[in-house]
Amino acid sequence: MNRKPLSLALCTATALAMLLGACATGGSNNASPSASGGAAPSGASPSASAEAPADEKPTEITIMLPLNTAETPPDRIKTEVEKLTNTKLTYQFFPADTYEEKLNSSFATGTLPQVTYLKNSTTFLLMREAIKDGQFWEIGPYLSEFPNLSKLKPEILDNTKVEGKLYSLYIGRPLARQGIIYRKDWADKLGIQPPANVDELFEMAKAFTEKDPDGNGQADTIGIVDRNELVYGAFKTVSAWFGTPNYWGEQDGKLLPEFMFPQYVETMDFFKKLRDGGYMNQDFAATSKTDAVKMFTSGKAGIYIGGSMQDIDSLNKDLIKNVPEAVLDVHSMVAGPDGELRQWMIPGYNNVILFPKTAVKDEAELKKILAFFDKMMTPEVANLMYWGIEGVHYTVVDGKAKVSDDKELVEREVKGYKDSVIGEAATNGMYESLNELPGRIHAEQLIVENEKIGVKDPTAALDSATYAEKGVELQQIMTDATYQYIYGQIDKAGFDKAIERWKKDGGDNIIEEFNAARQ
Amino acid sequence: MAVRSQAALRERTKSERKKRMWRNRWIYVMILPGLLYFLIFKYVPMFGLVISFQDYKPFKGILGSEWVGFEHFERLFTMPDFWQILSNTLILFGMNLVFYFPVPIILALMLNEVRTAFFKKFFQSLVYLPHFMSWVIIVSIGYVMLTMDGGIINELLVMLGLPKINFLLSPEWFRPTYIVQVIWREAGWGTIIYLAAIASIDPQLYEAARMDGAGRLRQIWHITLPAIRSVIVVLLILKIGDVLELGFEHVYLLLNSMNRNVAEIIDTYVYTAGLRQMQFSYSAAVGFFKSAVGLVLVMVANRLAKRFGEEGIY
Repeated sequence: MNRKPLSLALCTATALAMLLGACATGGSNNASPSASGGAAPSGASPSASAEAPADEKPTEITIMLPLNTAETPPDRIKTEVEKLTNTKLTYQFFPADTYEEKLNSSFATGTLPQVTYLKNSTTFLLMREAIKDGQFWEIGPYLSEFPNLSKLKPEILDNTKVEGKLYSLYIGRPLARQGIIYRKDWADKLGIQPPANVDELFEMAKAFTEKDPDGNGQADTIGIVDRNELVYGAFKTVSAWFGTPNYWGEQDGKLLPEFMFPQYVETMDFFKKLRDGGYMNQDFAATSKTDAVKMFTSGKAGIYIGGSMQDIDSLNKDLIKNVPEAVLDVHSMVAGPDGELRQWMIPGYNNVILFPKTAVKDEAELKKILAFFDKMMTPEVANLMYWGIEGVHYTVVDGKAKVSDDKELVEREVKGYKDSVIGEAATNGMYESLNELPGRIHAEQLIVENEKIGVKDPTAALDSATYAEKGVELQQIMTDATYQYIYGQIDKAGFDKAIERWKKDGGDNIIEEFNAARQ
Repeated sequence: MAVRSQAALRERTKSERKKRMWRNRWIYVMILPGLLYFLIFKYVPMFGLVISFQDYKPFKGILGSEWVGFEHFERLFTMPDFWQILSNTLILFGMNLVFYFPVPIILALMLNEVRTAFFKKFFQSLVYLPHFMSWVIIVSIGYVMLTMDGGIINELLVMLGLPKINFLLSPEWFRPTYIVQVIWREAGWGTIIYLAAIASIDPQLYEAARMDGAGRLRQIWHITLPAIRSVIVVLLILKIGDVLELGFEHVYLLLNSMNRNVAEIIDTYVYTAGLRQMQFSYSAAVGFFKSAVGLVLVMVANRLAKRFGEEGIY
């Protein structure tokens, strides 16, 4: 019993065990990307990698990536990929829910594998400091040596640059896939057109709540269902329609954060009115995505604004189990009070991969790994990883991939690899998906239209040291204030006070640094 | 002469001790894994604490990172919300002591009075099962029951003609929700040790007491409780050592923008400020502070226990 109190008191120190480990492996890895890198005799490497002789020893690559399914996929796809690319792959899958922790602890202990997938653009922002410290390989200079990798879209690569240098490959996503998914059968029954502006959106939510759209004679429906998430929930999408800038906007020639713009306050008023009227779920600030989706697919709510319009497939699948006569559609062209159309635009990638110097020892090894990704960007490999094995997981209809009806099999065997494919159909040549649900086909059209009226985040490629250090913490102040305003706990004066606090605690520095970085 | 005999005596006890050790050599060997465990997983990691005085960069390692002195501690103590967060932490801990801590004892006493072995086992399993559910599930069940959008409890309130209560998003309801969930999940599990302690009480004591005409309550008061008193004290001291460990996951799941002023505790703050922003040194400094507070409290509690005639834990 003697040792107990001490060990107890210091049990938090166990977490630091990992940190200590780093001391051993940390050592000295500041081997700068050697000067010979860019200037390497160009004839030697480029296409040689593409048509490697069959007897060459397979390249061994370890890859760490987030897993969005419950189970690690079997090796079926992996084995095929290895055959096609002459590699020996070791995949380390970790559940997406706790991936950030895994990423952090591996990073802190210097045990990141050769290829490290991040989780999303937010984790990428967090890695910027480490990237600037020179802990990852800069790959920009090598890209031109690889015919397929050099097809990656330059405008998206630009969004992933750190101090003007490229360190990562990206997993592409449409630039603007936001919009609403709504119950078309309800709208038709009540004779409502898809909302052309924000007022009509409000009216739709109101009608869905009050006019008994499901016709059961009970007041048991609500308009909009939202969740505890200002960015990927409804708020940011709607705020873009109101004309709020994308995170940061320009006012009198100066970059300022979105919440300093009047349109942001108008958006808060909009949600406040919705909630006060009972036209959205009352507890949305405490509602998880799962619960929000459940509310929609159980037929209780009429409008879902949760990020991607492509979610209509999965929402539809679950909804018609509960309400067989339900019909869903999407819509995204909602004008602001000034009559203008705008859309929030993401930086065009969903995730990126980095190559830690602790694991990739030299340039030759890096090139071998890049050669693997170059092959991943051929239609053959991309299709295999994204769609699975033809005839088993998908079939080709009209030059598009039609996913097998055995959704569980596809989910189990393919999904894990699907989320790791570099680029997008336009660059890696894989099949587009064959959509059968009319709402999904409509969504794909709208995504193309959205891009034309997309609003960019002007700080996407800018750096701010204060933001890197306390950005998340500071943003919490404004996120809290936004909810408190919508729930009526604070008024406009209280919200302004929160802005003052944000500025004082470091926000002023962030404003300054972003503006300076833009020069 | 006297000196020599003393030396001889010492020599003798020394050799005796050696003999004794040799006789018990296998017991010593059996200690080894335990010792190694503490050495490797508890003591060695303490050196990692030095990073809280550094600007730790993983790829530079502890040896290569820059020293910054108490900078991270200053940042913690001068943070505007520091006192708020610390007091939230202490209040939740206090509630744990007052509302949760006695529940397993009461439950154990009650279970002990159940005479039918079958029912005893049945109820015991029933109350400790929630322990095996993760906090995510407990909190989700809480959400389904408490939500204003059709939650059972609010529906009940409406049926009784009462107004709906915003349980999930109001600062006043955070603490009650928290403690009820803690009790529900952990109380049954906590009874196990007390039941074990009760089982070791000599049944003759009860028989004698019954002879003397003691009723059930008297027996509990004069036999059971005094017999498990030292167990209660030890568990209390251990609990106090955990003062700042309130179950990060649970609080984090209940935390939202509306109840942050009462719900943010040191652990959740470290998560947002430290780990989500990859500030390892800062997080380590906060962890260090937490451990120090825990150590001081355990020592104080132990001393108090000894003053009141208990054994304490060391």
